[in-house]
Amino acid sequence: MGLLEELAAKQIERRDFVKFCAAVSAVFGMPKAFAKDIAFAAEAATKKPAVIWLEGQDCAGCSESFLATLNPSLAELLLGTISLRYHETVMAGAGAVAEEARLKTMEEGGYVLVVEGSIPAADDRFCTVGGKSFKEVLTETAKNAAVIIAAGSCATFNGGIPGASPSKGRGVAYFIKDKPIINLPTCPVKPARLVATIMYYLASGKAPAMDKLNRPLAFYGELLHDNCPRRGQFEAGHFLQDWNDPAQRDYCLLLKGCKGPKTYTDCAKVWWNEGANWCIGAGAPCAGCSQPEFYGGFSPLYDKQDIFNGVGKSVNIDTAGKALVGVAAVGAVVHGAGRLVLGNKDKK
Amino acid sequence: MAQKIKIDPVTRIEGHLGVTVEIENGKVKDAWSEGNMFRGLEVLLKGRDPRDASYVTDRVCGVCSGSHNWASALALDDAFGADVPDAGRLVRNLILGAMWLHDHPLHFYHLSALDYIDVMAVAKYKGNDPGLKAVRSKIVKLVQAGDTAPLTPRYAPDEWNVSDPELVTTAVAHYLQCLEIQAKAKRMAALLGGKIPHNASIVVGGTTMYPTMQTLDAYRGILAEVAAFVKNVYVKDVVTFGTGPLLKLATSNVGVSGLNYLSYGGFQNSSSKDDMLLPAGAILGNLGSIEKVDPEAITEHVAYSWYDGDAALQPAQGETAVNRDKDKAYSFIKAPRYQDKAMEVGPLARMLVAQNETLMGLVEKGVKPGAVARHAARALETLTIVDGVTKWLDELTGMVGKGDVKIHDDSKWNVPDSSTGKGLTEAPRGALGHWINIKGGKIENYQLVVPGTWNMSPRDKNNVRGPMEQALIGAPVPDAKNPNNVVRIIRSFDPCISCAVHIIEPKTNEILKFQIG
Ligand code: SF4
Ligand code: SF4
Repeated sequence: MGLLEELAAKQIERRDFVKFCAAVSAVFGMPKAFAKDIAFAAEAATKKPAVIWLEGQDCAGCSESFLATLNPSLAELLLGTISLRYHETVMAGAGAVAEEARLKTMEEGGYVLVVEGSIPAADDRFCTVGGKSFKEVLTETAKNAAVIIAAGSCATFNGGIPGASPSKGRGVAYFIKDKPIINLPTCPVKPARLVATIMYYLASGKAPAMDKLNRPLAFYGELLHDNCPRRGQFEAGHFLQDWNDPAQRDYCLLLKGCKGPKTYTDCAKVWWNEGANWCIGAGAPCAGCSQPEFYGGFSPLYDKQDIFNGVGKSVNIDTAGKALVGVAAVGAVVHGAGRLVLGNKDKK
Repeated sequence: MAQKIKIDPVTRIEGHLGVTVEIENGKVKDAWSEGNMFRGLEVLLKGRDPRDASYVTDRVCGVCSGSHNWASALALDDAFGADVPDAGRLVRNLILGAMWLHDHPLHFYHLSALDYIDVMAVAKYKGNDPGLKAVRSKIVKLVQAGDTAPLTPRYAPDEWNVSDPELVTTAVAHYLQCLEIQAKAKRMAALLGGKIPHNASIVVGGTTMYPTMQTLDAYRGILAEVAAFVKNVYVKDVVTFGTGPLLKLATSNVGVSGLNYLSYGGFQNSSSKDDMLLPAGAILGNLGSIEKVDPEAITEHVAYSWYDGDAALQPAQGETAVNRDKDKAYSFIKAPRYQDKAMEVGPLARMLVAQNETLMGLVEKGVKPGAVARHAARALETLTIVDGVTKWLDELTGMVGKGDVKIHDDSKWNVPDSSTGKGLTEAPRGALGHWINIKGGKIENYQLVVPGTWNMSPRDKNNVRGPMEQALIGAPVPDAKNPNNVVRIIRSFDPCISCAVHIIEPKTNEILKFQIG
């Protein structure tokens, strides 16, 4: 069904919205009734909730990822659900007109603040917007925000890729200490997570259950490696060596640098671009983009890492016990598997 | 009396850009462009595993996502001596092709259209088309609720804004429709790239994605829908506006740069490296004459940039030593020049180099290579990409059908001890080059010369302004509070600033007469 008809048929628009709310509550493992609460909260609000979206040291990839949202339709989201007051890549106004929109919303208060990109810790002047340092823009905009969502790897933890540069990009939590911050790492942010988190917050007025790194457990509660469809190959000691060999197509990517055994994310279950594919599905090793070690601590990306010494240090503390048990087992298997691989090589 | 105004931030572009223009007698007399961000990706690559470069540089830009990844992989292919197999080349082309099909329409509808239409004219729509009526009620509802973000606030419409309710409502309907189409085009790229933005599957030597019939069928399905949108909606809208309400603007000199154009060529069509869907070539002042590109003629000037020295260096020898106190300098963007000339890059440059029939026809009829022509060229190029992608998809489907699929040169996966490489290709925004030096198996130096640097560059040591600065001069700005033409010209270049800026700092020492939106 095309968007225009969708817009024309009000009933359907409403039904889709409720369906979307049901999906949101399912994502967070909430009871069905919660969907109604979300729908109700969104409808009861006389005004659409205001959202300010700031971009620091970014590439606009998280904005692009947000724009890749297909379900609910982006048009419904942008025109019907939230009031996106400030977003450099999308908004109509520019220059002072844009700045005024931000200041006005800040005065109203109670908005959702989404932050994309890192903040340079080496020198405030490495990122400025409208003549002000981005750190200043962030600090003043954070003041009256109801909640802050740090979207993507750059805005979280050690600043993702810019974190490894001389600019020392760092995540929002390095600078804002007195507000609830929800971290949604991955490079870029996963649109479904972002939209669901905004909706959850709007409906419940609070952040969802989170791990010690302030990542919602619903998305980051489990180790990628535990859910990876290639896990069986890993156990069997089948590691991909040549991308051309159809027989190896589904082999484990550990030797190509996969960080799955250290990475907390639902990527294996919830694929990208509305279920089109995901990194490992495309034969690419997981780069661990949802972890604080990304990128500097995970480089080089395409070489097998010594994952077994470091795992204990990097795991999500909440589930460390389970992970460590898993790690011991994993270590044993890989040890054996490694021998298998080498053994095969020797025979050649 | 001359009056300086500064637009910062310039929105609906990629990255943080500020533009200052001097206005005299209702026209732009002079212009300066500056970027405002430093991420230092080239610096962070030093000492790392060269294979990381294609992953890291993909993050230079999330909008033309994949382009840097591609240029970097080409540079690495060159340095590693890798021979990308045909299926690997086709998978790369299909990922990038889909990204261009996402990027060009998105630029037109979401980043530019609001400069040309008076959105609020939708409320006056009197027709009976149910789709358009729905759009009207949607917008009217927003107006009644007193909340029209993100369509407002904006500059007041000027004489060039289209306010015919039927046209405007159609455009807004297409704006909404294209929100969905651009997301679907990304989905198409993700089928082979793993995820979008920031695909995961393009690496040195080829790609990691082994295509299956099922994947290619899914790709084909979305392509049909996107291609129909491009042909029946996007191109039609560009023609309708360009030859209708915007004809006067199209035939004026608003936004014309210095008539020098450059294309490295992009999308290798066959196993021959010279067989490109988008041809390479340089135009030096004469639109009908195409010269062969000589990469040796590329230098980067820093006379007016905050970097040490005055020398114009080859990119492979490029340096980025910041000097914030440098006299005369006003930008951290370098100034690449070709034979010491400021070259415009991007769809207009490529379609002129390709001597695209439709575009050349328009030029003959009096359309100037300015702001409107850039949009027309972008639309025509999208048609070319649709054709290319369709052909590559058929070819790859044939290979998969025969089980003859080689996607990666695995014999060259290991890092060479020392080597150099360059990758020259085209991004949606223009000519893109990556240069790498490898020493001791690690990256010794990495340099990017990107479309934004070509187009947004400051003056060079010969005092030649960058193409966008040139294009801004003469633009009518009857009302300094509403510099619509200035942002129209800036956006027609589809600026991508986060990649243009090697190192950037805020401007702290210049007092502008006044600052407006
Ligand atoms: S190492 Fe990576 S590819 Fe292998 S099973 Fe674990 S997550 Fe999957
Ligand atoms: S699979 Fe790994 S690299 Fe890919 S998006 Fe998920 S966490 Fe990031």
